[in-house]
Amino acid sequence: MSQKELTATFTRQAEIMGAQVVQVARVGAIAPKLVEALRPLGSKIALVDSPLVQTAGVERALAEAGFRIEKDGAAFARQADSGIVQFDYGIAETGTLAMDATDLKTRLAAMLPLTCVALLPEERLRVNLTQVIEAYLEQGGWPGYFTLVTGPSRTADIERSLTIGVHGPERLLIVLVGEEGDGNGR
Amino acid sequence: MAAKEFRRRIRQALDNASLRGALGRFADSYVVSREEVYAGRDFEALRKRIAAIKSDAAGHYEELAAQFTQAVEARGGRVFRAPDAATAREYIYQVAKEHGVTDIVKSKSFASEEIHLNEYLQERGLNPHETDLAEWILQLMPGERPSHMVMPAIHLPKEEVARVFSRYLGEPVEPDIKNMVRIARRELRKKFLTAGMGISGANIAVAETGTIVICTNEGNARLTTTVPPVHVAIVGYEKLVPRLKDIVPILEALPRSGTAQPITSYVTMITGPVPAWQGDGEGIKELHVVLLDNGRTRMAADPVFKEALQCIRCASCTNVCPVFQLVSGQVYGYIYSGGIGSILTAFFNSLEDAADPQSLCIGCRRCAEVCPAQINIPDLVLKLRERVVEKQGLSSGYRIALHGVVAKPKLMHTLLRAAARLQGPVTHGRPLIRHLPLSFSDLTAGRSLPAIARVPLRDRVKCLEQPVAQPRLKAAFYSGCVIDFAYPEIGESVFKVLNQHGVQVVFPQNQACCGAPATYAGDRDTAIRLARQNIAALEEARADVVVTACPTCAVALKQDFPALLAGDREWEGRARALAAKVKDFTELVNELETGGPQEQSQRERPGQAPGMVPGIAEAASQQEQPGSPGPGGQPVKVTYHDSCHFKRHLGLDQVARQVLQRQPGIELVEMQESDRCCGFGGSYSIKYPEISRPILERKLKNIKESGAAVVAVDCPGCVLQIRGGLDQAGSPVQVKHTAEILAAGEDKGATSGCKEPASP
Repeated sequence: MSQKELTATFTRQAEIMGAQVVQVARVGAIAPKLVEALRPLGSKIALVDSPLVQTAGVERALAEAGFRIEKDGAAFARQADSGIVQFDYGIAETGTLAMDATDLKTRLAAMLPLTCVALLPEERLRVNLTQVIEAYLEQGGWPGYFTLVTGPSRTADIERSLTIGVHGPERLLIVLVGEEGDGNGR
Repeated sequence: MAAKEFRRRIRQALDNASLRGALGRFADSYVVSREEVYAGRDFEALRKRIAAIKSDAAGHYEELAAQFTQAVEARGGRVFRAPDAATAREYIYQVAKEHGVTDIVKSKSFASEEIHLNEYLQERGLNPHETDLAEWILQLMPGERPSHMVMPAIHLPKEEVARVFSRYLGEPVEPDIKNMVRIARRELRKKFLTAGMGISGANIAVAETGTIVICTNEGNARLTTTVPPVHVAIVGYEKLVPRLKDIVPILEALPRSGTAQPITSYVTMITGPVPAWQGDGEGIKELHVVLLDNGRTRMAADPVFKEALQCIRCASCTNVCPVFQLVSGQVYGYIYSGGIGSILTAFFNSLEDAADPQSLCIGCRRCAEVCPAQINIPDLVLKLRERVVEKQGLSSGYRIALHGVVAKPKLMHTLLRAAARLQGPVTHGRPLIRHLPLSFSDLTAGRSLPAIARVPLRDRVKCLEQPVAQPRLKAAFYSGCVIDFAYPEIGESVFKVLNQHGVQVVFPQNQACCGAPATYAGDRDTAIRLARQNIAALEEARADVVVTACPTCAVALKQDFPALLAGDREWEGRARALAAKVKDFTELVNELETGGPQEQSQRERPGQAPGMVPGIAEAASQQEQPGSPGPGGQPVKVTYHDSCHFKRHLGLDQVARQVLQRQPGIELVEMQESDRCCGFGGSYSIKYPEISRPILERKLKNIKESGAAVVAVDCPGCVLQIRGGLDQAGSPVQVKHTAEILAAGEDKGATSGCKEPASP
């Protein structure tokens, strides 16, 4: 699959599964996009540092736009409206995000708030789960807490009526970051 | 007979409209969405892979458990191998006690329910909180049973859930689902953030890495395994697979087969202890994996039931089960429900506990078709039934019927002849019995029964004239009891059609019941005795081919006899030789018309096959008159009902349609759910008439909606059931065995010279 096909398939599948996908052409476009997307969703942000977050200057941009940023503490992410994390891979076949979530804050920021923002370099898209598993094994050592996320948290436990946002986020916003211009932060 | 309490639960479930409505709607949409989610995928190849992985693992639990333990311990986790439920419960309790835990959050775990963990912890002053929404709702409703393995609260209407939430919160709650889900999030979030321990199950455990894999949609397992400082995972041995790559096919099938999703929202893979908040700062979580045996290694050592350990707990077998859809998981009585549940219950609980649940299987084999782990559930249920009978004996009714009558063909035939003479008061001279008196009345509720034929086929054949000058084949007809004593005219049609195709047919008089009623009741001894008698009788005929027109008999002759007599030096070879000669009537007709099985796919028109006996080819091509004459030369609309054994054992569903389509004067129209069971199941319809009846009603509805005038069937049992149902419904639709339809289009062939005896 070409990069274009991977992106198209991933986007289509992720949207079918209930995620929102936005594409930005370069790292520099991440922060303005986040400011715009998160403004109506509440001002408290749980932010986990990652290469993309740092290169894109997400923290400063959000703070300047008036968001309250938390980065650690005993109650980290518990009261946040949104959590921002970077994922390692995307799986086109099912519109799934994959990451080594052994780091506690990464997990909490992705689980507790109602909105989860997932940053993902477009070149990290893969065709299927097997390719992703192989990629981790090649790096050597299997992660302690590996997670696959597809769409928002959902339940159909009452009358089989699909309802979004039970224990996890009710909104999954995937920011696919292209390689144009200023590098991709990896 | 099933225990009183069990009968009561069935009654209760059948009377629960919201339960039946919810399960019915789910099952109907499931079939469609499952098809869609598997579209473009090679399901057969996928399930072969899963079956191979899991079956191989079941042969190596000891090694895999050791490898898994080593891997988890190398990362700093602990593994406790629990031989039974009691030690597992106690271990988990001790871990909680050690940490001074009072509140525990739990994500869904069958294993924890299997060992009755919640009750145990509650009795010791701990508070386990279920966090899966459905499990939590049920936990708030003491005494309520789960109705489905994957969707345990599917039977509860939202108003009921609102009442439960109101009671819990002490304030009114509107029956608004979105709002109730928010309430659950809010209330359970408090539990997640304060619990001292999280307990999870696992969907897969990988030996090489010590990884446990958990699938959820709600995200509760992620929180359970992330927020509290201690994590206990309860993992049955059957979850073990050797390699990391083995999870791929299981993750491909589990959500697709379970809820028709391509993947669950979350798949969490935990390998050893990971960072967690420890009160005053970030530390490393304590991880305990309880590897639960509780009957699993005994099962793995059992050559027959080892197969059931391939189960990945998707519950698709129950989603397609016509019986489960009516009664739900609530009647089975144990945590694992449906056919697979009865097998697991026999090992995780006891054989006694499985006795009633297993008896609910009607044997339609739909589950075997969809099982992503390729488990032959219906055959395993039969094996289980045999063991139940071995241990508990047959119920007195079955014992008298099977040992006293069916096992003694001469006596049985004498009794049937006597019954044919004495049935006047209930038949009123009609071929159907509409009402039976007294305690037998349930047997004719919703379905008339056929009268016993005045002259059985075994007598009629003596007067049949067969105009076959130079036979190309000699066939022995094995009629089975239903054709012999209830529908001899089907047998006569078989003779007529086969004669027309140049086949000489004989009826070996020593043939007896095929033993299926004994096999399906778990009475192996009677089945063996009948197998021997039939083999001897059919050998004597020295025929080229043994023809049946009953798929249940065909399965008995082809599969059951060799299996029953395996290892018997005198009989095994004879059983195999007979099995090789057995052919279903419609299958044989198709081969005769198309020139053999190897050519049938290329040849649609009969009479052109090279090597065919010329007379037959001409006869075949001369059939211009309609199969069943319709008014004004209009084709007759015929719809085809797929008999369970005919389609799923013999695989002849398309062959039958081809044969019918070649018949002039017939327009084949498909009904909805043509391959859904009619509810007969032999003695099942007598044992569980209250379940058989609604299954039949659905079939009748589908038949009516097809607009057909005739239902074609290849099984006399289905003829009995559907004809009886249509009669009571006052429907003009006719039910005919394929042989009868073909015979109506034949102008030559056997004609009966027998006279009906005068009425007594």
